[in-house]
Amino acid sequence: MRNSEPGSPVSSIGGGVPAADAPITRLLESMRPELLRFAHWLARDRSIAEDIVQEALLRAWRSRDALKDPGAARPWLLTIVRREHARLYERKRLELVSLEEALETQASPGFPEPGGELFALRDAIMRLPIQYREPLILQVVGGFSTEEIARELALSATAVLTRLFRARNKLRVICGLTAVPDAPAPESLP
Amino acid sequence: MSCDEARLLIGADPGATTPALEEHLATCAGCARFRDEMRSLDADIRRALERPPDIARLRSAGPPPAWRQWALAASVVLASLAVCAVWLLRPSDTLAHEVVAHVQEEPRSWLATQHVSAQGIAQALRGAGVALDVTSDRIRYAQSCWLRGHYVPHLVIQTARGPVTVLILRHEQVRARRTFHEAGMTGIIVPAEHGSIALLARGAGDLDDLAGQMQHQVHWLPDAP
Repeated sequence: MRNSEPGSPVSSIGGGVPAADAPITRLLESMRPELLRFAHWLARDRSIAEDIVQEALLRAWRSRDALKDPGAARPWLLTIVRREHARLYERKRLELVSLEEALETQASPGFPEPGGELFALRDAIMRLPIQYREPLILQVVGGFSTEEIARELALSATAVLTRLFRARNKLRVICGLTAVPDAPAPESLP
Repeated sequence: MSCDEARLLIGADPGATTPALEEHLATCAGCARFRDEMRSLDADIRRALERPPDIARLRSAGPPPAWRQWALAASVVLASLAVCAVWLLRPSDTLAHEVVAHVQEEPRSWLATQHVSAQGIAQALRGAGVALDVTSDRIRYAQSCWLRGHYVPHLVIQTARGPVTVLILRHEQVRARRTFHEAGMTGIIVPAEHGSIALLARGAGDLDDLAGQMQHQVHWLPDAP
């Protein structure tokens, strides 16, 4: 049992981080950039992504005892971030703004230039509906397997395959490839 | 396995392979070609997702909703406290990287073409305990940004070589001048009377002169927070 108050990272800060918690503190902080990237692609808004990650890290800290294997920290934290993102949208009806009107794509240092294929692809991923974007981000950024995505999104594995297929099929067109016929209905697959 | 099933599996995960899929591909040139295309596309998708989306923040027509302000306030408090938690544990050699990452997160800062008003500059400097000699018509961007646990003035100064980012880091001590190159940018961090000053510009080049000027043009006020 811990001697310090374990409710949040906040509590352990006043008198410094207890030595026993130093590794998890380092771990959480080292994961922050990746979590922020993941949340940013999900939320499409940097300030919201920052809020999500902050809340997720707080939740992770509170339940740090549940992390038995540090090697499993990455999927554990990504899952917390995804759920926090979902929770945010359930809890608050976020202001919906037309993407066309509200987003300004800009070139940035180290980023693809406007007009480039990669730039167009990033823009296209951004515009994917959430039901396609979310499994794609989970798979590519999060490294989740189809089965893990299915568990996380409460879908069948076949439904996840279909969504991933459709997401990539939409992106094919952006890259100058022809779209292929839509995936068969999930129930028709073995 | 049918072509539809093979294409669903390939489209869902171009890198995946199963014995049944390989067996099908061995006899179906169309699906084999489809997999090649999808693997190439997937490599691009992975590259595209390597960085956060480069979008500006959503512009709001009106004031932000009240819950957002509370959430922002709470997140600032939590961020402050969390940063304190890791303050003693953070590595010291990441300052340059974090400067680069910060500028990448604010891509619009180098695109500004209008000079910032004196009031805007004052707002960016407020709370940092510094004053500036740089004429306001050279400053194209001025914000107070959260970096490594403190709000720091983030300025972009127009120079003959293009826009140069200046971050005034009162709380970051460096022993000596350090130059760095990362993500197509050149930077320098120089010690100052209190803390340090970081400069960052696109491409290669020498920032020594400007860094020297900034060392003289930034005045560190005694009653800083």
